[in-house]
Amino acid sequence: MKENVVSTVVFTLLLFLNIHLLNGQSLPGKPVIFKCRSPEKETFTCWWNPGSDGGLPTNYTLTYHKEGETLTHECPDYETGGPNSCYFDKKHTSIWTIYILTVNATNQMGSISSEPLYVDVTYIVEPDPPVNLTLELKQPEDRKPYLWMKWLPPTLVDVRSGWLTLQYAIRLKPEKADEWEIHFAGQQTQFKILSLYPGQKYLVQVRCKPDHGFWSAWSPENFIQIPSDSTMKDTTMWIFVAVLSAVVCLIMVWAVALKGYSMMICIFPPVPGPKIKGFDTHLLEKGKSEELLSALGCQDFPPTSDCEDLLVEFLEVDDSEDQQLMPGHSKEHPSQGMKPTYLDPDSDSGRGSCDSPSLLSEKCEEPQANPPTFQTPEGTEKPDNPKANVIHTWNPQSTSLGNKIPYFHSDVSKSSTWPLSQPPGQHNYRSSYHNIADMCNMAAGTIGAPVTLLDTTDKKPLETGEEGIAAKQREVGNSHPKTDQARVWLLSQEETPFISAKPLDYVEIHKVNKDGALALLPKHKEDSDQAENSSSPETNKEYAKVSRVMDNNILVLVQDPRAPNLALFEELAEEDLPATLQQNQVEKELPSFTTTQMPSNCRLQLGGLDYLDPAGFAHSFQ
Amino acid sequence: MDNKGSLLKGSHLLLLLLVSNLLLCKSAASLPICPNGAVNCHVSLRELFDRAVILSHYIHNLSSEMFSEFDQRYAQGRGFISKAINSCHTSSLSTPEDKEQAQKIPPKELLTKVYSVMRSWDEPLYHLVAEVRGMHEAPDAILSRAIEIEEQNKRLLEGMEKIAGQIHPGIKENEVYSVWTGLPSLQKTDEEARLFAFYNLLHCLRRDSHKIDNFLKLLKCRIIYDSNC
Repeated sequence: MKENVVSTVVFTLLLFLNIHLLNGQSLPGKPVIFKCRSPEKETFTCWWNPGSDGGLPTNYTLTYHKEGETLTHECPDYETGGPNSCYFDKKHTSIWTIYILTVNATNQMGSISSEPLYVDVTYIVEPDPPVNLTLELKQPEDRKPYLWMKWLPPTLVDVRSGWLTLQYAIRLKPEKADEWEIHFAGQQTQFKILSLYPGQKYLVQVRCKPDHGFWSAWSPENFIQIPSDSTMKDTTMWIFVAVLSAVVCLIMVWAVALKGYSMMICIFPPVPGPKIKGFDTHLLEKGKSEELLSALGCQDFPPTSDCEDLLVEFLEVDDSEDQQLMPGHSKEHPSQGMKPTYLDPDSDSGRGSCDSPSLLSEKCEEPQANPPTFQTPEGTEKPDNPKANVIHTWNPQSTSLGNKIPYFHSDVSKSSTWPLSQPPGQHNYRSSYHNIADMCNMAAGTIGAPVTLLDTTDKKPLETGEEGIAAKQREVGNSHPKTDQARVWLLSQEETPFISAKPLDYVEIHKVNKDGALALLPKHKEDSDQAENSSSPETNKEYAKVSRVMDNNILVLVQDPRAPNLALFEELAEEDLPATLQQNQVEKELPSFTTTQMPSNCRLQLGGLDYLDPAGFAHSFQ
Repeated sequence: MDNKGSLLKGSHLLLLLLVSNLLLCKSAASLPICPNGAVNCHVSLRELFDRAVILSHYIHNLSSEMFSEFDQRYAQGRGFISKAINSCHTSSLSTPEDKEQAQKIPPKELLTKVYSVMRSWDEPLYHLVAEVRGMHEAPDAILSRAIEIEEQNKRLLEGMEKIAGQIHPGIKENEVYSVWTGLPSLQKTDEEARLFAFYNLLHCLRRDSHKIDNFLKLLKCRIIYDSNC
């Protein structure tokens, strides 16, 4: 039975709940009193949140009791404060007393009460904003204008009796500014603003706070227009300053224009530049460094070794079978023509590069043995081909020689450079050989006198240069080429463009002058010259070979039994050579000579042999 | 002839003295407030009230901050407010409950009431400082303010006595004040009870300091400015 009753009751309750849920009706939600405020510490109002109404019409009541009392009262006024509010008028308001407030929500289903709220009116005072804000722009005569603002306390607040003491704050900003400028005004109801931007429209607001309460809201905005500041004095002054500065600028520009150049000269004196005689700056501008450097006489710039270190000390005659004059300044140089050490291009042990004719011979040998491997001289010679190559190279180079002044680089002795740079082809040797010849030629006079080399106008030193070159070859020791020599050498080269341009020709030694100069005759003039030349070789012995150097200034020439061997003429007969060479018409016979005249070419490279064309020799002696 | 000359000199001297006295008297109002120990120093009632109001305002600010500090630190969620109903020892002293009542009371009576309330807080303030110092984790914000309130309350009492000496000389004869008996509660070993005792004391101090401040301002506006502040 009991079980049945219990179960029945439970079932009924569940049924009710289900019915209510199905209908969507329930108890109202719990209300919450969220705010109570007093505008003047004489009345106050409280507001609550109703919560859900549970789907049924809900009635709200507020009940309270005061501290020290036991009676519970209901809210005297639900209207004045708006919906869901309770307004306590002066009669119902006690200060320094805690109110315990409770809101009850009642609907058909039941009622529910909020949590009690403990309120003391003393601490919930929040007044209304001040009223009657007036703005006035005052412009005293001697001072800048300022903004004068006045206001009145909110109407409800009793300040006169001292019941509430208010403090004020104002804020203002230009109309388009973003941030407000806030000022605290204390208990006064007026304020002055001194820093104003002219021509701006300002917004002003004021609010108040009771001595122990909350700040009020800001009063409605008030506008005032600040008139523009007519600073005629400033404008005039600025105009004057602008005009004055313009005048000053004009004067400066005029002065610079008139005497700008002299001023620049005074301030920035020109730096004297180096003057190199014969230096063609146009070549530099064109960027043809090769031509320029060759004009200066530098084939490889910068010089990789010191020319002076490679001065030839003495001329060594080699009477080896290869019949090539192999000038060697080192005693280690054996009689053999080809010496590996000698041929070492990289050795700088006194081997002449710029100055020494030995360099020339080195270069000569290089094509003989193995043109691409000058550094590895071989004992075996290939006279034919190398010589031919040499001869071939002679021709074209002579043409170029005439056109420009080759620079005999001191480091030409590094045969590795030039021979390696050229393929074994014969044609390549042309330039290389010619380079050698040029270098040997230039060695006499290029070092230390690049400038003079360019001087092509002076012919006087030609003779002395000739002698100088010869002397150099004879002398032992450093043969510093004189400027004159260099000049002469170049001049002679230039004067004999014909010689350089045309195929090489051979000359025969006509006679040996007293001072050791060799008089050379063109080869094809053998009918006229050979007879005169006692020492000249016969037709069969066409070439003179320098057997040795005597007394440092005499070349001993011997007949070269070998037909293809070329006499190596180291001395240049200034008077004879140009004439004889010019008269030669070796061009016709060039091809035959070119093939076999390499060794002689090498020999000829010793000192100013440009116009002693071994090809010419071969031609003449054949 | 000599007598006339001396008389003239004397009159001139007297005149000079008079003028100087007048000048001095005029500037008396701008003279600094009486230094300590001065006996015959005269300070105007206006200045006394201004100083009193400043002090009372300051004391209430300190009390309000002290209560907020304690409430935030120790009393959260404990429901102390519900227990602090009608528990101030000065509630026996009947004081006005609203503005009308305060304006109805004669100024002297109001002044007396103010004085009574202030006298009632002498001893509690002393013990408050001692007990806060003894608290573990003595919060410096509360302790420093308690010390300051105690000191300022003494000065305010002196000021009140001076004011009363001018408008209500017999104030000390009617010395009515409430006796505070909350010391044992402050010294309870039960932490919860002890904290509530502190809470209650600070709550009552905040309220009474506000009363004092409010009444003094009312009196000032009424006596000095004739209700036209």
